Amino acid sequence: MNGTFDGYRRPDGRVGVRNYVAVIPTSVAAAAVATAVADEGGAWARATPHQLGTSQPDAARRQTERVLVGIGQNPNVGGALVVELGTEDIDAAALADRIAADGTTVETLTIRETGGTEAALDEGETRLHRLNDEIKGARREEADVAELVFGVECGGSDATSGIAANPGVGAACDRLVDAGGTACFSETPEFIGAEHILADRCVDDETRRRLLDRVEAREGMAELMGVDLRGAQPTPGNQEGGLTTIEEKSLGAIAKGGTTPVRGIVDYGETLPVGGGLVLMDTPGYDVESVVGKVAGGAQVVAFTTGRGSTTGNPIAPVIKVTGNPKTWAKMSNNMDVNAGTVFDGESIDSVGERVFETLVDVADGRQTESERRRLEEFAINEIQPEELTTGVDA
Amino acid sequence: MKGRVLDDTLLLLSDDDNVGTAVDDLDEGTALDYDGRSVVVAEDVPFGHKVALEPLAPGDEVRKYGEIIGTATQSVERGEWVHTHNCESTRGRGDQAAAGGERA
Amino acid sequence: MSVPTAAERTFQGVRRADDAVGVRNNVLVLPSVICSHIVADRIAANVDGAVSTPHDHGCAQLGADNDQTWRTFLSLAENPNVAGTVVVGLGCEEIQSDDVATALESRDVPVRELSIQGVGGTDECVARGVEFASELAESRPTEASTADLGDLTLGIVSSDLDATTREVADPLVGEVAHAVVEAGGRVVAAGNERVTAHPAAAREATAGDARDALDDLLDRHEGHPSRASGVGRVAREHAFEDVTRSWGGLDVSAVRPYGDPVGIDEGLALVDAPSRFAEATTGLAAAGANVVLHATGDGVLTGHPLVPVVKVTGDERTAAALPDDVDIDATATDADDVLDYLLDVADGQECCAEAHGLTEFAITRVGPSM
Repeated sequence: MNGTFDGYRRPDGRVGVRNYVAVIPTSVAAAAVATAVADEGGAWARATPHQLGTSQPDAARRQTERVLVGIGQNPNVGGALVVELGTEDIDAAALADRIAADGTTVETLTIRETGGTEAALDEGETRLHRLNDEIKGARREEADVAELVFGVECGGSDATSGIAANPGVGAACDRLVDAGGTACFSETPEFIGAEHILADRCVDDETRRRLLDRVEAREGMAELMGVDLRGAQPTPGNQEGGLTTIEEKSLGAIAKGGTTPVRGIVDYGETLPVGGGLVLMDTPGYDVESVVGKVAGGAQVVAFTTGRGSTTGNPIAPVIKVTGNPKTWAKMSNNMDVNAGTVFDGESIDSVGERVFETLVDVADGRQTESERRRLEEFAINEIQPEELTTGVDA
Repeated sequence: MKGRVLDDTLLLLSDDDNVGTAVDDLDEGTALDYDGRSVVVAEDVPFGHKVALEPLAPGDEVRKYGEIIGTATQSVERGEWVHTHNCESTRGRGDQAAAGGERA
Repeated sequence: MSVPTAAERTFQGVRRADDAVGVRNNVLVLPSVICSHIVADRIAANVDGAVSTPHDHGCAQLGADNDQTWRTFLSLAENPNVAGTVVVGLGCEEIQSDDVATALESRDVPVRELSIQGVGGTDECVARGVEFASELAESRPTEASTADLGDLTLGIVSSDLDATTREVADPLVGEVAHAVVEAGGRVVAAGNERVTAHPAAAREATAGDARDALDDLLDRHEGHPSRASGVGRVAREHAFEDVTRSWGGLDVSAVRPYGDPVGIDEGLALVDAPSRFAEATTGLAAAGANVVLHATGDGVLTGHPLVPVVKVTGDERTAAALPDDVDIDATATDADDVLDYLLDVADGQECCAEAHGLTEFAITRVGPSM
């Protein structure tokens, strides 16, 4: 089994598996223009529209900026066009400078200065093509799988997720960590119930403490909304499917990260280390936001396990869909990439893991996933809500 | 995680586990070989549910994924269905919390 | 204030079962969750007369946050500009597409429903969705109904409180709002920062039987910073009267939670929406607005899929910088002209945002993602 793939070596040393021009709006006010501009390009142009405001409380704005910078710096992005209306709190030029710090080629577009929508679309198209002309000649070179940062996610889970798809993807994570790469899973609310077990796997006290703090914080957020996340699990539906305790459910979710020691935990959208082993990211369980967080952290490829058949992808990182439910594999084959339901026919978890790992390397090497082929590219940034910020004073 | 299927019947996620997970709806009486020992499924067990691979006394740990997922609340024979009727969480029990009991 | 001649003009609209008048006649393709929004977009793109409302919600929301999204979906489908709705779900989300459809059916809204997991994939879902949307588009009412200013439910939102907005655009909007109410119409206003910054003054401006609802709104925001923090800051720095000129001196007759219908037959209602254009306009559309007047100093140029958005600016530089995106230059237009323009738009003329076609849609969250 090949431990290498052909990728794009970036100025900061990281390797991309795609060579996109990202079109990044600074706020919702520029999102529609960003999308329309990207539509003028080929499949190499990828917009990242989002709904975040033109002015947000400071803490929320800083998180938005961190994610936008991380997206621009993801090694799959060769060049970026940052689009603003011109009056938002988040300044396109400042954001562009932060992205360009790693050597990414960046331009900006200020809608107000172009003369209006039509003019912005024209100017945007010009800058888009100019960026692509600059980056499209990038040559791929052989890179080791150790250069991969592999994000893993689960969504639309069912009774098969914790026993087939997640352990299968976990086995692939073990393989990658063993080969020197980074595997990252997130969705902090799903740790609830087995967080002590996960904490025991942390390599140091600092990581252990941060993990437990983050779990407590997420649990607290749910309490704000009047929900006891711990007491409500497993749900009646889960129990019907075979889950007996919250520990079992949580272990089934955590299984997607494999069995190696937890080397660290990073914030939402914070940069993930290359060659870092198994690293957690503190994100909501909300799939699209969670995947975006890991991609902003530098994940070049994502594996997404789903029992019931989630079809979402991401504009910047190819998403590999893995299902352990044979019915979903059959019914939704056009949206699924790997069948882990073979476990129920006797295939070992390790063997499924091998297939997931092979798919990871193939996709890194250029093979398109089903969601890539269909341009299913959902994108949303987690916003820290006012209800989570206790001050009544507007920042 | 090794994760192997015993006799096309039960998925053993870790060799440290004392329960296996049904890979199909299992009829009472289904027999399987567990590393040289015989296990006979004592009752109908649905797909995705658990079967005891060892006898359990009340308070014994139930192990899956190589970790403790709960404790037995009564005696459980090898081959018996393991679920909410004879296995309880060791942490954060919803019904205890509702009754004002301590949260783990 | 003299009654403008616009009060005597008529326009051709579409009268719905509840006698509300639509100024547009579109089929709404409503994704019930973020995961189906691309499919919804593709369905709408393939059917003449269909529009979609892509958003980032419907998943990982709890309690009041989940409930708000649910209520907003139902109310949007009942907007008078909507001829029928195709609800598109994924299948595993909290807000189920078939539940939304059932609720709409019980309210006599023409509806079809499908889910990605139900039909077996995104390709199939686009194909079937196009069939459903086409059916609804073909069975839209075609008969025009004569209507007038009093049939407008005018949504108003000022997405900033710049000096030009406060001093030039808002007063103009206020005159227009006043005229609409005089003619028997309704005005729905967004922008909760103004009342949270000045609770006592807000109570004074609110009719007696709406004060409980106002207190509920104030409770909901107690202790939290405003989502539109810039507007919140300015609202606190100025007097209540200075930041509510767009209300035209009208009493607030109703205070409505975000996602709920306006609930009054005439007068001014306040919707609990932040002054973020996309979220606010969705709140106004959910309340039943058939046209929206958006005061913007910055020049936020996007429209909204469900309502024509007329852009007014009090900032000459913005009007000069974005001539094709601003409908009304408030420094050089009077209320009569604005009313005429609104009636033209109601009659079918495209506003600037409709001409370029870029829209934005978002629903306000009231809780963190889980």
